[in-house]
Amino acid sequence: MSIRQPYVRSMDGWWKRNAYYIRYMAREITAVFVAAYALVLLDGVVRLGQGEAAFNGWLQALKTPLSLAFHLVVLATFVYHTWSWFSIMPITMPIMFVGGKRVQPGTITGTGLVAAVITCVAVFFVVEGISS
Amino acid sequence: MADTEKIIEIEVLRYRPEQDKEPVLQTYKVPFIEDTSVLQGLQYIKDYLDGTLSFRWSCRMAICGSCGMMIDGKPKLSCKTFLRDYYPGKLRIEALAHFPVERDLMVTVKDYVKRLEGLKPYLIPKEARTLEAGEYLQTPQQRDRYMQFSACINCMLCYAACPQYGMNLKFIGSGHMAILDRYNADSRDGGRDERMGPVNEEDGVWGCTAIGYCSVVCPKQVDPAHAINMYKIESTMDYFTRFVTSGEADK
Amino acid sequence: MEVYKADVAIVGAGGAGLRAAIAAAETDPALKIALISKVYPMRSHTVAAEGGAAAVTRADDSLDYHFDDTVHGGDWLCEQDVVEYFVAHAHEEVVQMEHWGCPWSRKEDGHANVRAFGGMKIERTWFAADKTGFHMLHTLFQTSIKYPSIKRFDEYFCTDLMVEDGRCQGVLAIQLATGEFTLIQAKAVIIATGGAGRVFRENTNGGIVTGDGMALAYRHGVPLRDMEFMQYHPTCMPFTGLLFTEACRGEGGFLVNKDGYRYLQDYGLGPPEPSPRNKAMELGPRDRLSQAFWHEKKKGRTIEGPHGAFVNLDLRHLGAAKLHERLPLICELAEEFLGVDPVHTPIPVLPAVHYTMGGILADGKTASSLPGLYSVGECSSVGIHGANRLGSNSLTELIVFGKVAGVEAAKFAKSVAISNPAAIEKQAEAARLRALRVVTQSGGKERLAVLRTEMAKSMEDGCGIYRLQADMQATCDKLRELRERYKNLKIDDHSKVYNTEWLLGIELGYLLEVAETIVHSGLNRKESRGSHQRLDGYEQRDDVNFLKHSLAYSTGDGAPRIELQDVKITRSKPGTRAYGAAGEKAAAEEREREGAGNG
Repeated sequence: MSIRQPYVRSMDGWWKRNAYYIRYMAREITAVFVAAYALVLLDGVVRLGQGEAAFNGWLQALKTPLSLAFHLVVLATFVYHTWSWFSIMPITMPIMFVGGKRVQPGTITGTGLVAAVITCVAVFFVVEGISS
Repeated sequence: MADTEKIIEIEVLRYRPEQDKEPVLQTYKVPFIEDTSVLQGLQYIKDYLDGTLSFRWSCRMAICGSCGMMIDGKPKLSCKTFLRDYYPGKLRIEALAHFPVERDLMVTVKDYVKRLEGLKPYLIPKEARTLEAGEYLQTPQQRDRYMQFSACINCMLCYAACPQYGMNLKFIGSGHMAILDRYNADSRDGGRDERMGPVNEEDGVWGCTAIGYCSVVCPKQVDPAHAINMYKIESTMDYFTRFVTSGEADK
Repeated sequence: MEVYKADVAIVGAGGAGLRAAIAAAETDPALKIALISKVYPMRSHTVAAEGGAAAVTRADDSLDYHFDDTVHGGDWLCEQDVVEYFVAHAHEEVVQMEHWGCPWSRKEDGHANVRAFGGMKIERTWFAADKTGFHMLHTLFQTSIKYPSIKRFDEYFCTDLMVEDGRCQGVLAIQLATGEFTLIQAKAVIIATGGAGRVFRENTNGGIVTGDGMALAYRHGVPLRDMEFMQYHPTCMPFTGLLFTEACRGEGGFLVNKDGYRYLQDYGLGPPEPSPRNKAMELGPRDRLSQAFWHEKKKGRTIEGPHGAFVNLDLRHLGAAKLHERLPLICELAEEFLGVDPVHTPIPVLPAVHYTMGGILADGKTASSLPGLYSVGECSSVGIHGANRLGSNSLTELIVFGKVAGVEAAKFAKSVAISNPAAIEKQAEAARLRALRVVTQSGGKERLAVLRTEMAKSMEDGCGIYRLQADMQATCDKLRELRERYKNLKIDDHSKVYNTEWLLGIELGYLLEVAETIVHSGLNRKESRGSHQRLDGYEQRDDVNFLKHSLAYSTGDGAPRIELQDVKITRSKPGTRAYGAAGEKAAAEEREREGAGNG
């Protein structure tokens, strides 16, 4: 059957072909920033274990302009990360019926986002309360 | 044709294996009428400008699944994509992405069909029933559970949307998973365990990274992304309970 | 040339072909079954059928009622013994489909639901939302995967039958992917290639519905029966001709003209009531409804649109919930193609060609006059539709007679052997050259599309809802001219891999020959019956001279020769086809007569 010559097209640069793919890659990259921030926090926990001076040193380091810039970037990626996480969450859940009606994806996403916002606000106030 | 004839330029990626080493772009000038679909534009080209342009089509109403192709870089059915959404700009048409191109806008379909056949996409009844006993009973709600996934027209747009499939043609893909769940979730069916083998493999559901573009392009709102990601839970459960069951889960 | 030896070959993998393949495989798993289709099976046009499959189900229904509805609907041109078999086996087949997983719509108690349909006395149409054909086709295709003895030849295009020793012994097919020919030898061949609606300009049919199998049988001396009876479906989309199912009307939709008036009441289908009443108004038979449109257009009461005259299908009063549950595909079609939301706006509709009642002459067991050749489905005239088909009888036909064809062909295949393989291979070689000539001798000047468009326009003019001698004659002449011009084709594509233009060229040959059988049969039938209506002195039904089938025989290059064949009448003598209030009165009178005498 050599008369057929099916042509296989390259996948190089596939992620640039479509705005949807670019947003997907951005979503995936936010995981790197999440990991980076986790390391920063982990560092803080370790310093906490090394005593007050060490911990304060860590806190001071966080206040440098470079660190603040880093944290702003990370915050932005976290917002996108959270939003995209809850946007995709419905497809990972089983099909659910409540009161005979199918639970809509929007409900799941909305619930997740609301829970995230409430949690952030709560944590903020707790931290505020402790540090003041 | 009308006296002030409007023209739309359609650029098609051609490929004739007997003369082309690789695909080559060819532009056609097609008369633009308000209601015409991209399919009708292609038919005009084949009928009056260039009979050598090959493409698949049949029903013209987005139910047969023949006419999937890349229209301005997005996987769509040409019968329900309309020229008016691109006019007066140029329109670029290519064969469905991620599939080998056999000829012009026709891709290799047999691998898709073959893989579907291997997944046992048919009812395996939980219990036998004679014809005299009539139909199995199934409530409207039981039917609702699987109907969305049963709407798949095998158009393969979801495979054209999936870069994981594009990079690994052995990946099961979301479309087939929708068809599998259509049966697994059918209250009359008892074949779920028999179908899990290919699902649990690395080229099964684990090849999916929840990009989700497949559900965006599905012309029948099947939501195959949901089907394949749901099965990650199923597959995980299978993995942990495989010692509890009779060992049939890995079939 | 590659040769494949099968026991049973089936040409066409739509609902009928798939059902036949499964039946043959179940009859004897040792038989080798070749299932040949020019498209992948799920693309077959069965997929576009919407409304449902009729089968007597309710306790207040009976086989007699279904029989009567069908025979009346067919204007007494049905083979009544075949109709009796059909109605008796409908229920078991829809249940068989359900056992194979077909997702029939259900009542609250879990039993299959039935809906009202045109021309049916009692609700008996099983349905799967408004995508019944889609679900039936996918169920059959997916079920067929279970049978290892079914070998599929996907995207293989049949160009000829092999007939040797007076028997059909195989087919010759082109593999689209390579342009190479394969001879498929078979001891029995079933043709299940669908209808021929594409001979007309405006039609609901997919591009593949080109009468292939009809032409193949016709060319080998098998007559095509009742070809003049082409069904116009009353509610189709302007411009594309796409179908809006009869179920829209079964669920309660109204047909209104430009004054918002339910005009069907003026045509013996009234009186109008707010909810659907079986066999009345919008639930009358399709031929009557299409004829009513024609009259409304003549009276200037239709609405003018960019693509011609139309009327409105008003579904607003059904409400969003019911529309989305029962008619989701309709809503999708209206919105995507017309930008119309049926919840808020009526849908523009007009009649378009939808179904070919006639076809390859088949007896009650789907056998043709050529031993070893069977036909089933829309391509076949097994005798149940007569002069006008009732909606939802055709999907049932696929499965009832699909099974019969599979069983019969399997039985026949086991009883014979291929008689002369060498002679068959020689035939195949000759057929191969004939098929190639469509391309190799194509230095002419006639583009396929030009011939096709002229044919379709001429058929619309001559064989419309109402027909005139002069118009039909003009179409006969036009088709003669087109068949001559067909010898002078200009085909651009001379390649081998997926040369779709070549196949369109061969298809055009099929279309032209089938078109001739339609118009010549129509010209010859000097009466009006069912969907063949004349306005040239033959406005009445003539049971004395024309209670007969038309048989169109090929004369090779020439026009078809038309003969007449008696109709098998068992217990339903020709009466008046009455619907609406008149129908109820007629039915009551008949019941009285039957009660008084002995029926």
